[in-house]
Amino acid sequence: MADSTGKFWKSILLRHETILLIVLVLEWLYFNSVGPRFGSLGNTFDIVRHSVEIGLLALVMTPVILTGGIDLSVGSLLGLCAILFGKFWRDAGMPLPVAGVCTLGIGALAGGLNAALITRLRLPPLIVTLGTYSLFRGLAEAITSGVDTFTNFPASFLFLGQDRWLGIPAQAPIFIIVAVAVWLLVHGTTFGRSFRAIGFAPEGARYAGIPVNRRIALAYVLAGAVAALAAIIYTARLGQAKADAGTGYELFAITAVVLGGTSIFGGIGSVHGTLLGVAAIAVLNNGLVHARQPREVAGMLTGGLLLLALSSSAVPRLFSRLRSRKPAKATQTVSPTPAS
Amino acid sequence: MLKRHFREWSVAFALVLLLAILAVAAPAFYQGQPLLSLMAREAPTLVVACGMALVIIGRQIDISVGSQFAICSVCAGLLAAMKWPLALALPAAIAVGAVMGTVNGALVAGLRLPSIVVTLATMVTWREGLRWLRQGEFVNLPDNAQWFGFGQAAGQWTLIFAAVVLFILMVMGMRHLSAGRFVHAVGSDAEAARLAGIRPQFVTFATFVLIGALTGLAAGMNVVQSPQVDPKSGTGLELKTIAAVVVGGVAISGGRGSLWGVFAGLLLLACVSPALTHLHVQAYWEKAIQGAIILLAVVADGLRSKTIKHN
Amino acid sequence: MNRLLAFIVAAGLVFGAGCNKSTDSSSSAGSPGGKKLSIALMPKSKGNAYFISCKAGADEAAKELGVELLFDGPTDPDPAKQNEIVDNWIALGVDAIAVACENKEGISTALRKARQKGIKVLTYDSDATPDAREFFVNQATPEGIGYTLMDEAARLTGEEGDFAVITASLTAANMNEWRKYIEARLAEKYPKMKLVTVRPCDDLKDKAQSETTALLSAYPNVKLVMAICSPAVPGAAEAVKQAGKAGTVKVIGLGLPSENRRYVKDGVTQSVILWKTVDLGYLTVQATTALAKGELKPGATEFKAGRLGAMEIKGDNILLGKPFIFNKENIDQFDF
Repeated sequence: MADSTGKFWKSILLRHETILLIVLVLEWLYFNSVGPRFGSLGNTFDIVRHSVEIGLLALVMTPVILTGGIDLSVGSLLGLCAILFGKFWRDAGMPLPVAGVCTLGIGALAGGLNAALITRLRLPPLIVTLGTYSLFRGLAEAITSGVDTFTNFPASFLFLGQDRWLGIPAQAPIFIIVAVAVWLLVHGTTFGRSFRAIGFAPEGARYAGIPVNRRIALAYVLAGAVAALAAIIYTARLGQAKADAGTGYELFAITAVVLGGTSIFGGIGSVHGTLLGVAAIAVLNNGLVHARQPREVAGMLTGGLLLLALSSSAVPRLFSRLRSRKPAKATQTVSPTPAS
Repeated sequence: MLKRHFREWSVAFALVLLLAILAVAAPAFYQGQPLLSLMAREAPTLVVACGMALVIIGRQIDISVGSQFAICSVCAGLLAAMKWPLALALPAAIAVGAVMGTVNGALVAGLRLPSIVVTLATMVTWREGLRWLRQGEFVNLPDNAQWFGFGQAAGQWTLIFAAVVLFILMVMGMRHLSAGRFVHAVGSDAEAARLAGIRPQFVTFATFVLIGALTGLAAGMNVVQSPQVDPKSGTGLELKTIAAVVVGGVAISGGRGSLWGVFAGLLLLACVSPALTHLHVQAYWEKAIQGAIILLAVVADGLRSKTIKHN
Repeated sequence: MNRLLAFIVAAGLVFGAGCNKSTDSSSSAGSPGGKKLSIALMPKSKGNAYFISCKAGADEAAKELGVELLFDGPTDPDPAKQNEIVDNWIALGVDAIAVACENKEGISTALRKARQKGIKVLTYDSDATPDAREFFVNQATPEGIGYTLMDEAARLTGEEGDFAVITASLTAANMNEWRKYIEARLAEKYPKMKLVTVRPCDDLKDKAQSETTALLSAYPNVKLVMAICSPAVPGAAEAVKQAGKAGTVKVIGLGLPSENRRYVKDGVTQSVILWKTVDLGYLTVQATTALAKGELKPGATEFKAGRLGAMEIKGDNILLGKPFIFNKENIDQFDF
C-alpha cells in the first residue's frame, strides 16, 4: 500500500509540468526577494498583459506541434493581420467589430493556405511555413510599402489592450477563454486525443479511423485564426498597427511550447504545460528587470532554461543507457511529413 | 538522368530563366566587377549551405549557424586586431566554430535531444551572449588584413576559388567516401544504418562539428572582405541557407538530396535580390517574392510526386 | 527522482550565475542614508554602437550626480518590447524615465501611464507624442536631419543627378520620417535631382554592402549614395570602393566617426553627419535628474547641464545644438 502511494507521488512529481511549476515558483520567490515590487498585483497584471499575444500563439502552436508539425508563420501572420485590420477599419470604413471579424477570417484563410499545402500536397510543415513566413511578412510590407502606420483607434477599442475590466487586464478574459477552449479541445475530447495520435503515429491514426488530414488542417486553421486575434489585441495594446508587428514571435511561442514539455516530434505534450512554459518565460523576462539585469541576460537564460528542461529528462536517460549499454534508437529531429 | 534529378534540373532551369530575363530586361546585370563582388559575397554562404545540406541530409537541422557566424567573425576580427597574422586568426575562427558545433553535437547526439530545439536554444544564447559582451561595437581590422593583403580582384577570386574547391571536395566526398554515404544512410534510416555497422550518433555528432567548422571558415571568408567586422553579421543566415538547401531539393525528412541542387538553389536565391534591384522592382516586394519562390519550389515538387503516385 | 533533482540544481546554478552580478548594483541602490534617485534610460535597441556612445555620456553624468542609472532596451528595435520595458520600470518604481522612441504611438501609451503614476518622463533622440513626456532632448529634428542630408547631397553633386538611399528597414519609423523630409526638401529645392531607389539593409553592414553593389550597377547614373542608418554608411562605402567608384560616386550618411574614419580619410565617404552622441547621453541624464529632483520645470527657457554649461530650451525641447558634419578635415578630432 505504502509503496503504491509512494509510486503515485513519484509519478506526479516526475511529470514535466510539476517540475516546471516548481521552477516557476522558485523563479517567483527569487525575484520577489530581489525586487520589492515584483510580487505586486500591478506587476503581475503587467506580466499577464505582456504575455497575452505570445501566450495565444503558444496555445494554438501546441496542437500543431502535437500533430508532429510546426508553424513558423504565426509571427508574420500577426503582422499581416494587424495591418489588414487597420486597413479594413481606416480605408474600407468598416466599423471595428466588422473589421475584427474580417481579420479573423483572413487569419483562418491564411492558416488554411498552410493547411492545404501541408495536407493536400503532403509537404513538410517546416518548409511550407518557412515559405509563408516570408510571404505573409512580405505582403504586409508590400501593402503598406512598409511606411503606412495605422493609429488613432478609438478609446473604446484601446480599452481592450490597455485598461482593466472588473479589476483585471481587459485582454485576460479573452486569453482565458481561448486557453480553456484549446485545453478542452486537446484534453477534454476524443477529438483532441486524435492530435496526439496523429503525432505519435500518423499511419496508425489513419487505420484507427481518424480523418488525419482534416484534423491537421484544423490545427493550422485554428493557429491562423488565433494569430489574427492576437494581432487585434496587439494593436489595441500598442495603439498602432504596422507591418513589423510580431517579428520573431514564432520563436517565442515555439520556445514556450517546448519548454512546456511538448515533444517537437509530436505525440506528447499538454496545453497546461504550454501555459506553464509561457509563464516561466514571462516571469523570467519581467523578473530580470526587477533584478536590474539587462535584456540580453533574459535571452541567454531563456536559452539555458530550454536546454535544461530538455536535458533534465535526457541526462538520467543517458546514465541508465550507459549502465545497461543497451543500444537505443537514434533520435530524429525534423518532424516527418504527415502522410495522408 | 532528367527524371532522377528532376528537382535539381528544375531549379537550374529556374535559374537560367531568371538569368535570361535579366539578359533581356537588364543587361547591366552582366558586368564584371559587380558580378564578381556578388559571387565573393555569396562564397561564405555556399560554404555554410554545404554544411547545412549535410546536417539536413542526416535528418537534423541547425538553426544556430547565424549566431555561430557572428561569434566566429568577432573572434577572428579581435584576433586580427591584436596583430595576429591571418594565417593564425582564420584557423582560430574555424576552431571556435568547431567548438560551438561540438556543443550542439554533444547535446543532439550525446543526450539525444531534438536538434531543432537545441539549436534554437544555442542560437539565442550565443547571439545574446555576444551582445552582452560586445554591446554591438564594430571591430576595426588592421590595414593589411583585407583580401589577405592581396589586391581586391585577387582576393575575390581566391575566396570564390576556395569556396568552389571546398564544394567540389564535398561533392566528391559525399559520393565516394564512406563517410558521405554514412550521412545518407543515417538520414534515411538510423536504425538500419546502425544494424549495418554505422554508429549513427557519431555520424550526427560529426556533422554538427563539421557545420560549426565550416561556419567558422565562412566567417573568416567574410571578415577578409571588409576592414570592419559587424557583430550582427550572420543575422538570418540560418533561414537563407535552409531555404537554399530546401529549394535545392534536399528532403527535410533526411536521406535525400545532392549538393549540386543546393548549389543551384543558393545561386537562385542569391540572384533574386540583385535581380529585383536591376529590374527596378520596389524593395518592399522582395520578401513576398522570396517567400513565393520557396513555396513554388516545394509546391512543384509536391504536385509532381502526387501525379506520379496517381499514375 | 534524479530528474527532478538534476533540474532544480541546474536551474539554481543558472540563476545564481545570471544574477550574481545584480547583487552589487542593487546593494548600492539600497544604500542607507537617503534613497538614491534611479533613472532609467532606454535606447531604441541594445547592441547598437550609436546608443553605446550615448551610454558613455550617460554613465559620466550619472557618476557626477550620484544617481543610479538603469540602461536597458529591446535587443532588436521593437515598439512592443519598448512598451513592455517601460511598464516594467513603472512597476519597479524608478523615479524618471528617458526613452529614445522607436515608434511614437506604440510607446506613448506606456509613457502616459508612467506620468500618471508620478514618474517623470523625458524623451531623447526621437520623440514620442508631446502629451506623453515633459521634455524632449532634441539633438536634431527629423526635419533638421532630413534637410541637412539633402542639402549636403545637393552640395556634393552640384544639385543635379540621381541618388539612392539605404535605410535600415522599410518599417523603421524614424527613418521613414527622415525620408519624408528628404523627399520634401528634394521636391522643394532641387528639381534636377532624382531619388531613384530606396533599399533596406536590415541594419546590417554586410547587407548594405551587397545592396549598394547591386544598385550601383543597376542604376549607373547614381552619383551619390545616402545611408541613413549607421551600419549602412561603412557598408555602402566599402561597396563603392570595391566598385572602383570612390570619388565619382559620393557617400554620405548618418553614422559614428569611429566606424567611418577610414573611408572618410580615403576619400570614399565625403561626409558623415552626426551630433555628439556622448553629449546627448550626458545631457539626457542631467536633464532627467533635474526633472526628477524638481529643479527643471516646464516653462524653463534655460538649463544648466554640468560640463556642457547652459543649454537653450525652446518650448519643451532641450536643444543639444546643430548636427555636426564630419569630413576629412575634422574627423580626427572626434574619437567616439
